[in-house]
Amino acid sequence: MADTNNKQVVADIDRSLYDFKDVESEKDFYRMAEGLTEETVLKVSEEKNDPDWMRDFRLECLKLYNDIKVPDWGPSIEGLDMDKISSYVRHKSDMKGKWEDVPEDIKNTFERLGIPQAERESLAGVGAQYDSELVYHNVKDEVAAQGVVYTDLESALRGEYADMIKSHFMKLVPPTDHKFAALHGAVWSGGSFVYVPKGVKVDIPLQSYFRLNAAGAGQFEHTLIIVDEGADLHFIEGCSAPKYNVANLHAGCVELYVAKNARLRYSTIENWSKNMYNLNTKRAIVEENGIMEWVSGSFGSHTSYLYPMTILKGDNSKMEFTGITFAGKGQNLDTGAKVVHQGKHTSSVINTKSISKDGGVGTYRSSVIIQKTAKKAKASVSCDSLMLDSISRADTIPGMDIRTNDADVGHEAKIGRISDEAIFYLMSRGISEEDAKAMIVSGFANPVSKELPLEYAVEMNNLIKLEMSGNG
Amino acid sequence: MSNDLNMKVNVLPVLTYNFLHVNDSTLQINDFNISDNKSPLAKELPAGVTVQKAVPFAEAGEIFRKNNDRILAPIDGHVDPNGDTSARDKDQALRTGMGADVDGLMISMGATVDIYTVEEGVKADKPIILNYDMKDGDASLSGQVIHARKDSEVTVIIAYTSDKDAKGFQGVSTRLLAEEGARINLIKSQILGDGFVHFDDIGGACLKDGKIDLVTLELGGCKVFSSAYVNLAEKSTAFTSNMGYLVRGDHDLDINYVADHRGKKTEASMQFKGVLMDSAKKAFRGTIDFKKGSAGSVGDEQEDALLLSEDVVNKTMPVILCQEEDVEGRHGATIGELGEDILFYMQTRGIDEEEAKRIMIKARLDSVAKLIPDPEIMQKTLYYIQNVV
Amino acid sequence: MSENALLQVKDLSVSIDNELPILHNINLEIKPGETHVLMGPNGAGKSTLGFTLMGNPHYCVTKGNILFEGQDITDLSADKRAKAGMFLSFQNPHEVPGISLGSFIRNASHAQTGAPVKLLAYKKALKSAMDVLSMDEAYADRDLNVGFSGGEKKKAEILQLLMLNPKLAILDETDSGLDVDAVRTVSKGIEEYQKKKDGALLIITHSTKILESLHVDYTHVLVKGNIVHTGDGSLVNEINANGFERFVKED
Repeated sequence: MADTNNKQVVADIDRSLYDFKDVESEKDFYRMAEGLTEETVLKVSEEKNDPDWMRDFRLECLKLYNDIKVPDWGPSIEGLDMDKISSYVRHKSDMKGKWEDVPEDIKNTFERLGIPQAERESLAGVGAQYDSELVYHNVKDEVAAQGVVYTDLESALRGEYADMIKSHFMKLVPPTDHKFAALHGAVWSGGSFVYVPKGVKVDIPLQSYFRLNAAGAGQFEHTLIIVDEGADLHFIEGCSAPKYNVANLHAGCVELYVAKNARLRYSTIENWSKNMYNLNTKRAIVEENGIMEWVSGSFGSHTSYLYPMTILKGDNSKMEFTGITFAGKGQNLDTGAKVVHQGKHTSSVINTKSISKDGGVGTYRSSVIIQKTAKKAKASVSCDSLMLDSISRADTIPGMDIRTNDADVGHEAKIGRISDEAIFYLMSRGISEEDAKAMIVSGFANPVSKELPLEYAVEMNNLIKLEMSGNG
Repeated sequence: MSNDLNMKVNVLPVLTYNFLHVNDSTLQINDFNISDNKSPLAKELPAGVTVQKAVPFAEAGEIFRKNNDRILAPIDGHVDPNGDTSARDKDQALRTGMGADVDGLMISMGATVDIYTVEEGVKADKPIILNYDMKDGDASLSGQVIHARKDSEVTVIIAYTSDKDAKGFQGVSTRLLAEEGARINLIKSQILGDGFVHFDDIGGACLKDGKIDLVTLELGGCKVFSSAYVNLAEKSTAFTSNMGYLVRGDHDLDINYVADHRGKKTEASMQFKGVLMDSAKKAFRGTIDFKKGSAGSVGDEQEDALLLSEDVVNKTMPVILCQEEDVEGRHGATIGELGEDILFYMQTRGIDEEEAKRIMIKARLDSVAKLIPDPEIMQKTLYYIQNVV
Repeated sequence: MSENALLQVKDLSVSIDNELPILHNINLEIKPGETHVLMGPNGAGKSTLGFTLMGNPHYCVTKGNILFEGQDITDLSADKRAKAGMFLSFQNPHEVPGISLGSFIRNASHAQTGAPVKLLAYKKALKSAMDVLSMDEAYADRDLNVGFSGGEKKKAEILQLLMLNPKLAILDETDSGLDVDAVRTVSKGIEEYQKKKDGALLIITHSTKILESLHVDYTHVLVKGNIVHTGDGSLVNEINANGFERFVKED
């Protein structure tokens, strides 16, 4: 029996799981002044002990940031005032390789989120970022012995892999891409570097957990993953933050390089608090026969712009995107995916589900581009939206640009609600109306949750239940 | 007459990524000296239908403004979608597919329109036929308003023709009002010459139980804008659209269709079938917009584009906007070459690939052309398809 | 007499979505363990009665009331009726993607009893119920009714009947569209239910195939929204031979 589907019998949810604010003493933290100037950028650079090229790069990005306009097409970001965001907050202690050495207050936070336990049980390695800095990084010995590198990006920048970082960093997402990519380039801090050598298959996932605890702060972590020829990796990313009454900003950047015959699965369950502006950029490039898989759950944030992009460069490369977005009260979540087919016989599948409730605005937005070189490319998009009341919005804005005849593109979108008959049917078996609705919504989300590792699927179902009960 | 007009038209109801270059389109008429503002006389009018000739464009808009308390009844608790562009067209007497800049052009050029009024309860016994027969070098702007009063029914057929290699410019505005229980059936066949820039900017509104049906064939012209915005203002109104298109050479077709569901139990069904050849370009925008209060409504939009050359550019933007729980919206798109199965099937019957393609293109366009209720115009259109293909 | 009645329907009149009335002054009493059959031509209002008894909000009770174990349930929602011990098998049950049949039944059991459902015992019970219905175990893992054939859907409904063990089961056209073998399997399931728990049954049908192997206590004939005749089990055979003509004329 599929017991993982047994969503309704899970224990009641405790919102405090994510919402607790950590008791911390100001004096233990270094916090940079709010606002963004050349001075702040230089200060971050100095804090990070950047190589010269990185410092120059940051200043270049700052110029771009000031020149590029905010997008005219997405949700409003008027509530985000960069003069009130501190771009750098760190604990006055160094990153630890041993859990026992992590400062007590931060340790408590991650303990409450269940991170160390997850590491012991089912992960190959864990990185934990608290505000702007990684506070903990560890890889299981047997994985490290395979030659897998999983470290914080900053030490990688100065170590053995310095050249590799330099030749890949913000090459896939250039700072010219959009305003917040430029911002990221200017003040990025923290994040991970993963290198999986040729032919190495990492059997259990690596995970990064991001926690933004400081009010009115920005988190700008950079994740750079290179999966070399024939290698295989599953990387999981989790995010959360307690709720404050001031805007917080997350403008991270994820760059993924999938080499020939390699496979990378990148899973995210995003549960930022509902004062977060999540302007995150994720991009992958896939070489011949490579496979990129995205699993993405968006539950938190006040406002999101999130469209992981895949460039199918090599012949026969493949991409699969499975995503769910739940837009509740006060949320405007603009999410989707982008794909560019360049190689021959490339294929992409985008499957998304979106749920809108209590005045939430959920927008599915995508683009599928088939370039002239992508002969025999195949693309299929399917997006379903569920409206749970008539004060919310569910919009579907997909775009396709096809420049060869020798391609096969299919697209399907549906929008609707939970039918009265379905609710009555479940109620006739003794299930309350509220549970019947939650059950149908969980069923609707099932194609996504079944792609997640068990503990994440459970977390996702908890989040759905939390949203359905109106306490999200 | 100004000669440097660059107008933003066919604006998507909600903006998206700029790199797709599909948020709007530009209508350039710098190269034309618009001199002719005449629209054709209907051959004969059915009983119960009257025409008022050469009414200034803005004045003709009054028919819609008078009904604005119904067509644009305020919606409580409306929330704009992300990237909403409706503000730019809010001053139009009636929203149209191409938008406010065309109204501006019509007014600044002194264009006039003919108003056809179908009296209450009249079921017109024959169609109103308007033949726009264009000559090489013509540049004209004109239009018509079709006003179907309560419980009336009318069919209007508009044919745009010219010699095959004629050049010119021809812009038309067609605005429709179907009052309570009225039905307007509009058929358009466009087989203009290869040098024609053409636009047809359609706007429509339906009051309670009113219905608008469109059949459109866009087969000629080098740069064509084909657009419609239909406002389903009140309960049980409906809009259907069937378009067949063929784009060849380096021609360009730019489409913007919107079904604006406002009333309860409204229905929209839009089908777009077409063929792109050579280095043709096409942008299709189709939007189903379920406004708050449109409970019980259904909207469906299907695009089927056959691409027959490796140099074509096909853009498709099917949008669904929704702020109502009790609705059903669907869209689908199939884009690509002729299916291998059907090709193989034909080959087993001794038909070669080229011939099979011809048959399939023809079948696709003929199926729409056969909806033309006037035998002469239908034959002419079928003949055009036969010749081109 | 009425003290030990399971279900009492008193002067019940019903309309759909507040429009035309469909059922008029229906009176019916079912005791524990009894099997009642409701027959009648198409459009008589049989399914309406089933839905009304179970509390479908589209069906509006304009007059009268429904008592279950002496409690007035006329205004209770469907889940409360189910918890009280009622069950309705649907003629065309809804497809619910994303929830497997097995976990759905487990959820429903949990919802009805409020007690945790022990996994091993549950699996065992499910397996033996599926055996009765000659259902392949794999069905438990398939999404609820999604892509099920007509016969599979009916079996899945009877499987829920066996697992949920209600005091009263209302079976709406459970035999329609089934071949002979499937009817036999479904009947076997129904017998099993009768046997296991002194379960009462209201079988709604317009044919008689499913009744051949069941003992029937009462037969009611519904014509144009009225119960025009009530007899014993032998009435089934009469209707089988002569159809409804006699009753339609009486009306």
